[in-house]
Amino acid sequence: MTEPIIPPAPEVLEAPAGPYVYDYAASPQRQVVMPKTVPLPSYRTYLAEVKAAAEADEAKWKKMQADYETAKAKAEAEGKDAPKPPVRPVPRKDDNDLKTPWPQEAKDADLLLLQEVLGAKVEEIFEQAGELTCQLEKGAIHEALTLCREHEGLRYEMLADQSATHYPAANDFAYSVVYHLTSISRRKRLRLRILVPEGFVPESACSVYPSANWMEREIFDMLGISFANHPDMTRILCPDDWEGHALRKDYPVVGWGQRDVAFREDRGGMIERIALQKAGQLGINLKQPKAD
Amino acid sequence: MGVMQPSAFEQILITTKVEKVMNWSRATSVWPVTFGLACCAIEMMAAGASRFDFDRFGAGIFRATPRQADLMIIAGTVTYKMAPVIKTLYDQMPEPKWVIAMGSCATAGGPFDSYHTIQGVDKIIPVDVFIPGCPPRPESLIYGFMKLQDKIMTSSLADRYKDIFEEVG
Repeated sequence: MTEPIIPPAPEVLEAPAGPYVYDYAASPQRQVVMPKTVPLPSYRTYLAEVKAAAEADEAKWKKMQADYETAKAKAEAEGKDAPKPPVRPVPRKDDNDLKTPWPQEAKDADLLLLQEVLGAKVEEIFEQAGELTCQLEKGAIHEALTLCREHEGLRYEMLADQSATHYPAANDFAYSVVYHLTSISRRKRLRLRILVPEGFVPESACSVYPSANWMEREIFDMLGISFANHPDMTRILCPDDWEGHALRKDYPVVGWGQRDVAFREDRGGMIERIALQKAGQLGINLKQPKAD
Repeated sequence: MGVMQPSAFEQILITTKVEKVMNWSRATSVWPVTFGLACCAIEMMAAGASRFDFDRFGAGIFRATPRQADLMIIAGTVTYKMAPVIKTLYDQMPEPKWVIAMGSCATAGGPFDSYHTIQGVDKIIPVDVFIPGCPPRPESLIYGFMKLQDKIMTSSLADRYKDIFEEVG
């Protein structure tokens, strides 16, 4: 077993050192905007949101009543007509066809079976729009995948997709790694999900599903999550000498990583001069490195 | 009368420059490399097929190796990962060679103003004709190719080696 490559911790991005530098002050629309929310679907979060909304509604109603009482007392003291009593607003009836499907309690036999067999290693199970999701403890993913493939009642033969997402606003994790399983014999689909913190090395799925090989390499290339016991944990899309991981939310689209290509001979410095002139017309600041 | 009658020699022969004959032969049998990068390659294939028939201009023979080709049509987005490959293919082509940048991606990066795309293929290899469009229709490619033919017809050996002569002094 080879030593897994642990990605370096993310640091605050500084101005790139290359010759073609994007001036972010000159083009503020190019600046990286970090997300402030964690848009991760979850039944528990949904229930908490519903509860918070109901509580806010109740608090608003109580405040309206208290306001009415004070206004009434004031009007009585001044000898005026009593104000109108408040009417509790009826919650608007949503059209469920137009609403985004919300997470619902898991009733599917597969999810219940997974929870029964794995016990406390299952963090959460829920259904959303007919899709089954099972969130697992991050160390138990290999066991769960083996179970899904080999258990007589599950028989998920195919790993259709594997991907990951960066959630920089979350406190206790940084990435979610998602496994989409398909059972051809049972015509069913199942989604397994783990939440991993920065620097955590999950177990590779290659020994269970060989198709995970390239998908895990893509996750490593794009997000920097490295997988243990993977046969070839190298970049797949970007060039081998690439710096950083492009699908992290702090990776700018322009500037960092963008480099100068110096293949073409520039005998009189003409290309350089034209480039600087063009950039000046566009308001882009191209700084040239000083020769040593 | 003062009008000179053409001699028997002039009636059976055409006198011209060697350079012009060479240019004519080069311009009317340009062989492109079989090389497509993105959706522009589909339009390039359409230009080569029977409706538009690139072969009318002598350029229908898409060679599978750069060593037997004169023209490279950069049809599509050029990424940083692809750039060394394009440069190698260009270097493998024998002189004289020409390059057409087809579509807005190959011309100036197109919509991909980002970390992975080269903002125009002219940053890595010299380009003779730029064709705008996203993607350009086969008519545009044919027009661009006719412009390249004009360029080949008006080129001279002296121009080709001008840079080298200037450098030598």
